[in-house]
Amino acid sequence: MSSHELFVEPNLKQITVWSRGVIMNKDARDVVVALTEAAAIEGKYVQAFENYVDLPDRINVPVRAYARISSDPIESRYVYENESPDIVVVLEETLVKGVPVLKGIKPGATLVVNTRRSIDDILKFLGDTGNLGQIATVDASNMAQAVITLSGSEGATDATGIGAGIAAPIAGAVARVTGIVDVENLAKVVKNQAAMRRGYEEVKCRTLEVKYTAQKSQTSARELLKQMPFAGTVPSPQEENEGMVTGNWRMKRPVLNAEACTQCWTCWIYCPDSCIKKGEDGPLFNLKYCKGCGLCAAVCPTGAISQVPELDFDD
Amino acid sequence: MGKIKNISGCVAVAHGVRLADVDVICSYPIRPYTGIMSELARMVADGELDAEFVHGEGEHAQLSVVYGASAAGARVFTGSSGVGVTYAFEVYSPISGEMLPVQMAIADRTLDPPGDFGSEHTDAECCRDQGWIQGWASTPQEALDNTLIFYRVGEDPRVLLPQYSCMDGYFVSHILGPVDIPEPEQVKEFLPPYKNHHVLDPRKPQIIGPQIEPAMGPPLQYQRYQVLQNVFEVLEEACEDFARIFGRRYDPYMEEYYTHDAEVVIFGQGAHMETAKAVVRRLRNHGEKVGAVRLRTFRPFPTAQVRERLSRFKAVGVLDNSTNFGISGGGGVLLSEVRTALYDLGEKVKTVGFVAGLGGEVVTHDEFFRMFEKLKEIMKTGKVEKTAFWLPFEL
Repeated sequence: MSSHELFVEPNLKQITVWSRGVIMNKDARDVVVALTEAAAIEGKYVQAFENYVDLPDRINVPVRAYARISSDPIESRYVYENESPDIVVVLEETLVKGVPVLKGIKPGATLVVNTRRSIDDILKFLGDTGNLGQIATVDASNMAQAVITLSGSEGATDATGIGAGIAAPIAGAVARVTGIVDVENLAKVVKNQAAMRRGYEEVKCRTLEVKYTAQKSQTSARELLKQMPFAGTVPSPQEENEGMVTGNWRMKRPVLNAEACTQCWTCWIYCPDSCIKKGEDGPLFNLKYCKGCGLCAAVCPTGAISQVPELDFDD
Repeated sequence: MGKIKNISGCVAVAHGVRLADVDVICSYPIRPYTGIMSELARMVADGELDAEFVHGEGEHAQLSVVYGASAAGARVFTGSSGVGVTYAFEVYSPISGEMLPVQMAIADRTLDPPGDFGSEHTDAECCRDQGWIQGWASTPQEALDNTLIFYRVGEDPRVLLPQYSCMDGYFVSHILGPVDIPEPEQVKEFLPPYKNHHVLDPRKPQIIGPQIEPAMGPPLQYQRYQVLQNVFEVLEEACEDFARIFGRRYDPYMEEYYTHDAEVVIFGQGAHMETAKAVVRRLRNHGEKVGAVRLRTFRPFPTAQVRERLSRFKAVGVLDNSTNFGISGGGGVLLSEVRTALYDLGEKVKTVGFVAGLGGEVVTHDEFFRMFEKLKEIMKTGKVEKTAFWLPFEL
């Protein structure tokens, strides 16, 4: 008997919620907590948790929250991540660009995106959808407001309640397109019930043709041992740090109006990530690392820098 | 029965501390135990708990604050993780030496390097010989329950010793699970108020921890050694009372899983043993006579009980989720202690060590599967050609 077959959990559903540190971290947690609590009402075995390795105290950093729901006891309780999600939720639309949100999904998986953009727009950024069987969009940010709080982070109790913000319509949308929980049970656990029901009603959904894709295996520990540098010491990055590429933290891109720029270089001084270089016509933005914090635009005395939504750009 | 909530190990411990109605808490943040303190801070701020909440300037200060507060007659709580635990090291021996029943929660974290917040038992196990009571929880529920059980045992007049209530960082501290939160009345019945035996009082000045002559050393240390032996009896009573009052029965020493007819078992402590149990269930479906034994009380080490229980099996694999570099046997401290406990049985029970889950890595189902395969091989051949295996490199 192979150990792989031995440990299959056929009735386990994995839900992965992608979000952004601090600004929507709480809502990501709320989605998994709301769905699992509703499932628990239905007698399911559940587990809600957050990715431990993500950096949730960094503003805008991509973060993940996870849910596991099963009719059997969950035997993979202490496996770190949802390695093959059935449902992926993207709480902030820009995450479909530059973040591998579909990594490892099961054949026929569902993707739910919080966006006012069209499904075609989102598909454009996703590229090859592989195992994805269904895509749904819901304009949750228009139905509720994100709750920004650190209450409930690091495993502490959330003193502000579950599902008061955009988690409510998102959870409603997930319930509608996947049937993972009954909407009436969801109504028993979320605070903003009106928004939850709006999400349930207004979600748009499209079925996709599943292109079966094998999952890539991770680098083995033995392989890592071979690669391990002496005493774990690594060279310090002088210009760019390939180990910490932060461009996918960005939701809005700085764009220069060269005519208004006086080349005073205030932006160059203020950029906290040294992402601005002095160019012939004004600042050049290093988009591989720019987190889109908007400080450059805020300090520009002539208003020469504007912030444009990242998804307005194809590149 | 109290109210069942889906909470993390951190919040569960905070509820335990609230229900124990502690008087003084001293905090200093470090992942992953921080959630306990942020939750307690909220409870104090919201009036759910009437306690002095002191923010220390570091872990050494944390332990020093609760040391003094406990000497002044308060029931106290503190906690830490990883290098925070080791930074406070100096204060551990004085606290047990003065017989002050301080409770410290440890949510495990790897010691540096690497600068890693993953769980390893190394941090807490470093403190194993400081005269404190110590044990691991494997679920949020057990983390709450251990908080109460440890206060009860540590404060018993026959014991009077501090306690490390340990749980695996992230796996237990951060993942939510169902927890039955007891009612205050139940806790009152289980845990009598703390009665200090030499309260600091300006009207009756006394010196705690004075400089002594070497001649005082042997009797002082022997006293601490003796009270640690009393823990067993008191712990057994506490678990019995706990079952009666709260309806949850814990074996004082170790939880056995599918051991009635098992030939080989994996022995270990903490969260990863829950995964071991899942693997045992699956292998049982295929008729394999395998089991798991999860140690609950690590200090004092229940040598006699371990010897008696493990003597029933043909081969025992000992899981160590820690780095004990250079230790006898090449595994971890659990392997070393189990082999010592089993020594008098001679060749009857084969033992082998497995070091796994370092840096906070998951001990996978497949790794446990390979451990059981190795144990079956040892049972068949009767030979232990290597006393310990480091996973996944050597097995």
